[in-house]
Amino acid sequence: MKVIIHDLGLEYEGLIEEKCDRAVAADGKYAPCQGCFGCWTKHPAECFMKDSLQRICRVIGQADELVIITKNLYGAYSAAVKNVLDRSIGTSTPFSTYRGRQMHHTLRYGKHDLWKVVVYGEVSEMEKGTFRCTAERNAVNDGFERSEVIFLKDLAELEAAL
Amino acid sequence: MKTVLINCSPKKRFCASAYFLFLQSLFIGGEKVNEKLRTPADHARILEQLRDAQAVVFGLPLYVDGVPSHVLRFLEKMEIFCRENGLKLNVYCIANNGFIEGKQNEPLMQVFENFCTRTGLACCGGVGIGGGVMLNVTRILFVVQIALLVLNTVLSAVHTGNFFPKNAWLSFAENTALLLYFNLGVLFYLSGMGRVIRKGAAFGKKYTRILIPSFVFILFADIFFVIISLLQGGIFRGWLAKKK
Repeated sequence: MKVIIHDLGLEYEGLIEEKCDRAVAADGKYAPCQGCFGCWTKHPAECFMKDSLQRICRVIGQADELVIITKNLYGAYSAAVKNVLDRSIGTSTPFSTYRGRQMHHTLRYGKHDLWKVVVYGEVSEMEKGTFRCTAERNAVNDGFERSEVIFLKDLAELEAAL
Repeated sequence: MKTVLINCSPKKRFCASAYFLFLQSLFIGGEKVNEKLRTPADHARILEQLRDAQAVVFGLPLYVDGVPSHVLRFLEKMEIFCRENGLKLNVYCIANNGFIEGKQNEPLMQVFENFCTRTGLACCGGVGIGGGVMLNVTRILFVVQIALLVLNTVLSAVHTGNFFPKNAWLSFAENTALLLYFNLGVLFYLSGMGRVIRKGAAFGKKYTRILIPSFVFILFADIFFVIISLLQGGIFRGWLAKKK
């Protein structure tokens, strides 16, 4: 399954839905993670907050290919996109293991294929480095075989990047 | 000199970020202001505190290899505020994560560097801490040790008239030394950063962790989550099962 998380406007809705099996619009109409670990220890893979992200772990957890389209914010995902990712830690279990010679959580949904990040907006060389570093770490942490980061000069290039 | 210490943990109480900021504040002189960043309602109050500050220390947890989303929202507002008011602050960062390797905080530290570059502030580095949750637990264990010492002293005084039970004090000293040892890396770097903050200089990026072997850490972390999951009931609700 190919899942796209994006912070684009409604004008891109058609294109996004055409290019994936499941689209998640990071519209900011949800609460940030409260750090309670309830999606590990109380009600696995489900958040106690009853908004559009309550079961986001189940969507991201079952993605073979995850594409994140985000505006650059200091070399990080935009706040709206990061909010979606913060609420998805239930894709793993609370148990720990070693992956890539570092400690990580074991995966609830098993291995995935590609963690792809498509960045738009003005971005410096330092910020590009941070994006690559983050995507690489995200892929290891979430059990994706590989990661890829694409920087768009213009959103007109978006269709080709997907 | 005024330093604003911002606890960015979304948790209401008992967070590791508060513990590390408390330790950091022990090594900073001058005026210290403690702030809590949880919701957008906190933004205006914190920004006002920054107006006449010389340094700001962010204490925050690592979320999905980066800065938590509610902190990113604040940084966006802070950039505008600092530009509009021509603020020149020294920015420091204390990041902690639940894994044992402090180095896993690297992307988060880079985001703060990028933020400072865009905002025109001085990024003065910080400390990335591994095993933050477990280090936070050591402060509870220390309080438990004190309670046990007091209890043993009272019992000894009542039963034998001895106000200095040697064994109880020895046990307290041993356990406290062990807890202190776990925190040594953190104390070393936070004391160093405190000196640097006082001088208004850059500290660079340093990484440390709880001082125990990682396989022991993983064992204790797993036991911790089994107990919590038992108490909260998750273990009976498909704890390790795939969810549709």
